[in-house]
Amino acid sequence: MTYYEHVPFRENIPAYALGALDAEDVGALEAHLQTCASCRDELAAYRAASDNLLMALPPQKPSAALRQRLQRRLPGAQKTVRPRLNWSIGRVAVGIAIVLLLALNVFSISQVRALQRQQTQLMDQMQNGQAALAMLSYSNTQAFPINAENVTGSLLLDKEYNNAVLILRGLPPVNDDQTYQVWLIAPNGERTNAGLLRPQIDQPFMSQAIYSTQDLVNFVGIGMTVEPAGGSDHPTGPQVFRVDY
Amino acid sequence: MPEIDDNQLVKRVAQGDERAFLTLYDCYVSRVHALTLRILGEPMMAEEVTQDTFLKLWSRAHMYLAERGSLLLWLLTIARRTALDRLRLETRRPILSDSNDPTEAWEIIPDGNGLPEENRWRSMHFAVQSLSPEHRQVIELAYYQGLSQSEIAEVLGWPIGTVKTRLHAAMERLRQEWGAR
Repeated sequence: MTYYEHVPFRENIPAYALGALDAEDVGALEAHLQTCASCRDELAAYRAASDNLLMALPPQKPSAALRQRLQRRLPGAQKTVRPRLNWSIGRVAVGIAIVLLLALNVFSISQVRALQRQQTQLMDQMQNGQAALAMLSYSNTQAFPINAENVTGSLLLDKEYNNAVLILRGLPPVNDDQTYQVWLIAPNGERTNAGLLRPQIDQPFMSQAIYSTQDLVNFVGIGMTVEPAGGSDHPTGPQVFRVDY
Repeated sequence: MPEIDDNQLVKRVAQGDERAFLTLYDCYVSRVHALTLRILGEPMMAEEVTQDTFLKLWSRAHMYLAERGSLLLWLLTIARRTALDRLRLETRRPILSDSNDPTEAWEIIPDGNGLPEENRWRSMHFAVQSLSPEHRQVIELAYYQGLSQSEIAEVLGWPIGTVKTRLHAAMERLRQEWGAR
């Protein structure tokens, strides 16, 4: 390649070294540089000049805050930053939702347990009612009327099968720390526990089966007292009724 | 600072040594910021680009090759590219007002402290300052504002041939000036 053939490329090398050569001329020059060592040397010399332009400015200090900002943005520095609570609206909403769900869950569990208790009581009542109906169908069943101050009803007694059912009407409710307790009364006056019962609210009458490991014929009557919740070993509260058979 | 120290510090930065990073920051931030401020002209934006430049040093320290040039040159090259990208992003054109007159900018020289590093940039600064105003102007617009020759012709209202001739002459002058030092 002759000197004159280099001229159009060499004229563009200073602008290329500065990054100021127009885009349409860049391709041709770069293609020429790949094949021309002397032009590459020329470019290296101009590149050194343009590099010096980077160095030719008087130093300027930035604000002192820049150093601190930069330190905070370094990944290493970020690790030492004390984690702060960053509660966004979304997180607060999720937190509230979780608390509400937990509260709803606890409420639902208590409701389910209350329903289970109610269901158990109703089942007991139904079984007692069925037992009473069954006993009434037997010819050997005896009925003894109960007439007390606050309660009326009947004692159904089947001595042959050792079954007894109390059917009570108007039994007043007791306090939460109290219960009704049924007693079997022996001929000598001793009382034997025959079960606890609490009247159902909104129920005009209730029935209670009497279960005993001993023969009912060994006793002469059945009585009921008001006792502390959980029952007593022997009667301590006021008598509600007594029926002898 | 001797370059051997720079190399050791850069290796430590590549391993996540924050103290080494801050040592390099303290050493070179004024040079980097001078360049970003010269290109962008606005202190706040220049600080952002200066910050980006040093964040690149933090994340790309392992890419620095000492045999290709000094660390300062590497940093300044990154800073120039980042600043010109920011300038293009802002789609700003250089404003040739009194406050941004490239001729005047080269006449501002702070008091020196006589250190070798300062003497180095001073000699380069004087070389640019010794150019004629027309030559300084094309160098300023081409290198510090990122304009092509045809864009310079449009901004200054000169024929494209005049821009090419003056830019070529200015670079030749700098090349001879710096080559003689």
